[in-house]
Amino acid sequence: MESPTFTRIVKTAPFHDEGHGFDVFGLCPPTLASVITATAPIYDRYFRVDSLGADRIPACGPVILVANHGGVLPVDAGMLCVDVLRRTEPPRIPRAIMDHFVPRLPLVSTWFARLGAVSGTRANAKRLLERGELVAIWPEGVSGPAKRFRDRYQIQRWAVGFAELAIRYRAPVVPVAVIGAEESWPVMVKLPITRWFGAPYVPIPASPVPLPTHYHIRYGMPIELHRGRTPDDAADPAIVAAAAGEVRVALEQLIVDARRARHGVFR
Amino acid sequence: MRVLVTGATTPLGTALVGELVAARDVELVLAVGREPESTLPTGPRLVYHSVDMTRARKLHDLLWGPARELAIDHVVHGMHHRRGADHGPAVHAQNVDATRELVLACMDHPTIRRLVYRSFAEVYALRHITSDLLDEEEPLDFDPGSPQWVRDRVEADLTVSTHLAGPLSIAVLRCAEILAAETGSQLWDYLQSRVCLSPLGYDPMLNVLSLEDAVAGVMAALRGAQIGVFNLPGYDTLPLSRAIAQSHRAAIPIPGPLIAPLYGLRRWVAGFEFRYDLNVRRFHFGGVLDGGRAREAFGFQPRTPVHWPMSWWNLLMARLAEQPVSL
Repeated sequence: MESPTFTRIVKTAPFHDEGHGFDVFGLCPPTLASVITATAPIYDRYFRVDSLGADRIPACGPVILVANHGGVLPVDAGMLCVDVLRRTEPPRIPRAIMDHFVPRLPLVSTWFARLGAVSGTRANAKRLLERGELVAIWPEGVSGPAKRFRDRYQIQRWAVGFAELAIRYRAPVVPVAVIGAEESWPVMVKLPITRWFGAPYVPIPASPVPLPTHYHIRYGMPIELHRGRTPDDAADPAIVAAAAGEVRVALEQLIVDARRARHGVFR
Repeated sequence: MRVLVTGATTPLGTALVGELVAARDVELVLAVGREPESTLPTGPRLVYHSVDMTRARKLHDLLWGPARELAIDHVVHGMHHRRGADHGPAVHAQNVDATRELVLACMDHPTIRRLVYRSFAEVYALRHITSDLLDEEEPLDFDPGSPQWVRDRVEADLTVSTHLAGPLSIAVLRCAEILAAETGSQLWDYLQSRVCLSPLGYDPMLNVLSLEDAVAGVMAALRGAQIGVFNLPGYDTLPLSRAIAQSHRAAIPIPGPLIAPLYGLRRWVAGFEFRYDLNVRRFHFGGVLDGGRAREAFGFQPRTPVHWPMSWWNLLMARLAEQPVSL
């Protein structure tokens, strides 16, 4: 018996089937739908995700979601992707952009690809945006999960590539604050073992499993970085840096507002 | 159009010659192969020559003799050594030296105007930082540790590509793997086993080309006038596990480092051609050709799925259907 969530994703989510039930990047909607169905208790009961503003995500066309990042493993990214799928109509499959070392990881690389994640190359992002897909980017990269507990919700390194993409491919940027993740599973120690599949470090978490913090996901208003700029402006580092800065400011404000509004880490 | 086809006795060459002979805009086909006798259908518009193209003099004599007399104006070069297990100077001479000599001779030739060179998707360097979708700007595999099979193909591709700005109109077609028997397809050989060993934890996306689409791509490039490098992707894009299932084979995932010696043993004992070291990157990171440029330039769109190896049951049924049992 298929659950309504499964049916909704498989039957209504826009998807570029290459003929064998997969898209060119390896996404498989039935697998994704099964995972969304199976993780529903984690989303609903464990993290009790409270979401606001998903209707600000444009229903079609290229979009870039830009979010803060934290925690030992990308649980925040997973919850954000589940949230987008559940709260957009028709469901939009978020194409999470993953770090370059992830495709080298056995099992993880395949699993992520089936769920819609894509390696973070310029050509991949270009193809997705040209197809009008929803791309999710964490500009902090690995510096997000690597941040110390006392630096939680402080934006770390801020890669500007998303702004270049947004200007070049005329994609609105939706900033998203994910609150709760950065207290949920902090890193205790980072083992500098860089030889394993190219991972920057091996994280030792402070707890064996993520703590059941209350997740709050807040979507900001779409920012049209391309407005008043031409696609050629994407080649100008100063313009791109300024555009990325706009989004950073908006995201930081969203984080501040969301943290102020919550009643506690676990409540 | 009067066309010279090298490698005419290969499956691709044979299919291409058949298509050319059937085409109304083709006046004559000069088919060239290594075999002394051709298995190609004979006809007034088809001439077959047996030439060892690794001999520069023979190649020169072919181009300045029959090709000039027959006023050949288009050349399709698709002659490569097919066995992945072979290596050495003779293989290099066939893959690279013959290609170089052919290009140089065509450039000075009085009647030849266009060269279509069949290259391979294997020339691209597949790494974890490579895009899933490979366009023509992706880096090529210059790893000196790569097998000769790959190095030769990269060198031959570059040998042709360096003359793109010259007087000859050249189209380099980087074809996805043609999944058919006798084409030198590593994947085809891999899928011949009842049990396929796959790398544990990896299930990359593959793209395979049917013989029909390969011929259609070459025909489109022959008829076009565009110069450059063009990817020719196939119709089927699927994960390795699905390709194995599609071929009615069983997959056993085992750690990557164990696969190479096991397939080496298989090659040694049973004489198969699949080499894991030739495919290790593809079996980890995948890579699908982006055919956007070929689509825009000469309207090539893959339309024909590959003919997957049949299950024993379907094979039996097909044979019974071909030879009805009389009571």
